[in-house]
Amino acid sequence: MATGHPVVLPGETIDPSLIPSHPKNPLRLGPGLRHIPPTDIVPTVAGQLITNPIKNSMWIEYNSNRYIPSPNDLILAQILRSTTDFYLCTLSPHTAPATLPHLAFEGATKKTRPILQPGQLVYARVALANKHMDAELECVSSTTGKADGLGPLGTPTATSTAGGGCAFDISLGFARRLLMARSREEGGVGVLEMLAGEEGGGLAFETAVGRNGRVWVGSDSARTVVLVGRALQETDRGGLGLEGQRRLVKKLVREMR
Amino acid sequence: MPREAEPSLNEKQFVTQALQENLRLDGRQLDQYRPLEISFGDQYGVADVTLGKTRVLAKATAEVTVPYVDRPLDGIFTIATELSPMTSPAFEVNRPTETEVLLSRLLEKTVRRSGALDTESLCLVAGQKCWSVRVDVHVVSHDGGLTDAACVAVVGALRHFRKPDTSMEAGRLTVYTPAEREPVPLSWLHSPLCVTWSFFGDDGETAVLDATWLEEQVRVASCTVSLNKHGEICQIAKLGGTPVDAVALLQCTSVALVKVKEFSDLLDRRLAEDLKRRDKGGFMAELRAENDR
Amino acid sequence: MTVTTTAPQAALGVLPRSDGSAKYSHAGYTLTASVNGPIEAQRRDEHAYEAHVEVIVRPAAGVGGTRERHLESLLQSSLAQLILVKNFPRSLIQIVLQVEDSPENDYVNTKLVQASLNLAIMPALVQTAILALLSAGVPMRATATATAVAVVHQDGAKKTVVDPSPREVETARSVHVLAFTSHNGLLLAESEGDFTVGEWDDVYETAKGICCRAGPAKEGTAMVLDDEEASATDMRQFLRSTMESKVAADLHWK
Repeated sequence: MATGHPVVLPGETIDPSLIPSHPKNPLRLGPGLRHIPPTDIVPTVAGQLITNPIKNSMWIEYNSNRYIPSPNDLILAQILRSTTDFYLCTLSPHTAPATLPHLAFEGATKKTRPILQPGQLVYARVALANKHMDAELECVSSTTGKADGLGPLGTPTATSTAGGGCAFDISLGFARRLLMARSREEGGVGVLEMLAGEEGGGLAFETAVGRNGRVWVGSDSARTVVLVGRALQETDRGGLGLEGQRRLVKKLVREMR
Repeated sequence: MPREAEPSLNEKQFVTQALQENLRLDGRQLDQYRPLEISFGDQYGVADVTLGKTRVLAKATAEVTVPYVDRPLDGIFTIATELSPMTSPAFEVNRPTETEVLLSRLLEKTVRRSGALDTESLCLVAGQKCWSVRVDVHVVSHDGGLTDAACVAVVGALRHFRKPDTSMEAGRLTVYTPAEREPVPLSWLHSPLCVTWSFFGDDGETAVLDATWLEEQVRVASCTVSLNKHGEICQIAKLGGTPVDAVALLQCTSVALVKVKEFSDLLDRRLAEDLKRRDKGGFMAELRAENDR
Repeated sequence: MTVTTTAPQAALGVLPRSDGSAKYSHAGYTLTASVNGPIEAQRRDEHAYEAHVEVIVRPAAGVGGTRERHLESLLQSSLAQLILVKNFPRSLIQIVLQVEDSPENDYVNTKLVQASLNLAIMPALVQTAILALLSAGVPMRATATATAVAVVHQDGAKKTVVDPSPREVETARSVHVLAFTSHNGLLLAESEGDFTVGEWDDVYETAKGICCRAGPAKEGTAMVLDDEEASATDMRQFLRSTMESKVAADLHWK
């Protein structure tokens, strides 16, 4: 392990020389760290300590399975039931439901709100998350009033003709890597590009990755959905690098033909 | 307690639709099992079975007790199944769910009622003393196929188990500790195993082996066949669900026999390997004892 | 007849369907733990300002009884100290510990239902629970390490035995279990039997030497230590190396 990014355990003292000290910007603490006034910064989870001296921030990089809502995360929610003003949705099994107001959809009014069945998958953004309250979701950007790709999944819309599709469970760390702006360079995942590209023989499919560890795959062909889902899950579970992913995609495409 | 999470509408529809095209989410054939593996613990009578992501642990124990009044010549044999919150937070301690009741009944019918263990051999003194053999089944991880995996675990644990040796002299019963006499295996008659079929589609026309948890939540009917490698059927359970064609069921039974033979062979092989491993330990132990003197 | 491993062994994330899990074996004990949480708590367990920590101990054979309830209550109060419960109000953190294998005493035939306390299993329970919590990424104040020490009187001489076997527990004058946090604080101390304050102090020092060895020793000094305390394993170093390999596996893409 590189000395610049040491592994830390909960409660360990962090070497003060590792804490970034920017003359102007305030120090920003990310996940896995807590501040005990006045000056102690203590890790709360086991992982790798990452520091960014330019942004003057530090956080712990780790992987887990249980999603804890945080604002602006894109998530894959499942409708539980509808109440008078909002839908109750599940983000992860056995947790308290999140709320999705009936009016938090593009162009929704009292009369034109979308009707969603229990069990329907919805791609949404976390609008409000607070440890003392249930999370609140939205399927519309509050600034532009546009859906921006959010909304119920697997129902024919103006932009998509794919069938119902299927959701697959992945680890939170892998979901985060898939959502990175440059996932191939920064996150080391190129499996989706490969499937759509040369290695996969140009498969046509859509995906919606939720930070809560679920990914939805839609396509006209059920075979493609299964192939993409398996490729994602096996990349995650096997901890494959780019070369391993290329081999996996080739193997799966050959198998499923 | 939060209920078990239902699969989403998208998943439910997709699983059924894909199966009509002979496709499963994990890429298996319809009649293909996930890899089954059996390992034994350091102590006698501990079997650990994994079937894909499903993992079941069984532990056999024995103690001397008084036989039931109406069966003075028989020992006591019980199988205890309890699903803990480890399986899923939806299971609560001391509150049996339907899954748990069905699992324990099927195991009971398959292993106990089929006379796999000779209970008469457990009797020590008629009407006064007998062995009580107990198998505890712990479902550590549940991803479908519980019955099949649990049955292999129970049979494996019992066949691996050794009970303390005993002797009768002038009406006095002596139970030897493992330090005094090497424990002895149970009197085992045959190894019945379960194979579960799941049915999908409107008329249950698609039959699938070893369904995962997601598939189990979507299936319209299921049928568990218990048989041993000689093809003797111990029980068939088709509990509710969509009616299935009788000819299809017959077909299922013959495929089940092939699977049971495979599992029996694996079990025999693993037991033999474990015996070998222990034997080596015993030889080493003897050498050490020699040196002490 | 049994093959007992003396060095502790652990595997993390062994249960794919729970949030965190660990399999741990040491001194003949093998345990698996699962951690789920934070999840929705039942009404009766709900606290307005903190998470409820639930510990369930399941024996390998038989149904859990008073003995397991006692172990659970000891673990519950220790672990609730370590977990940052205030981070997740109204929720539940559920820890289930399944005993898979425990060493047997070859000199007695065990009965299934035993009322007596089994303190010797405690360190394995603590260790497994901590590993599972770390694997689940549950925020914690600190980690902890634990060990069991027995005081045996043999031929008029007193002897402290670390990780006693069931036979040694049976013949020991007193058995002690101690757990220390990674800040060297005493987290748990349970004793059973007849002992003097002096004996307890000895036990405390022995246990502290195992649980709280300061930092990874350099090559040369490690050798000297090994000679002095051949039987003693460094629990803290073990915990650290287990977590290091887990983190390295998780972040292979970095």
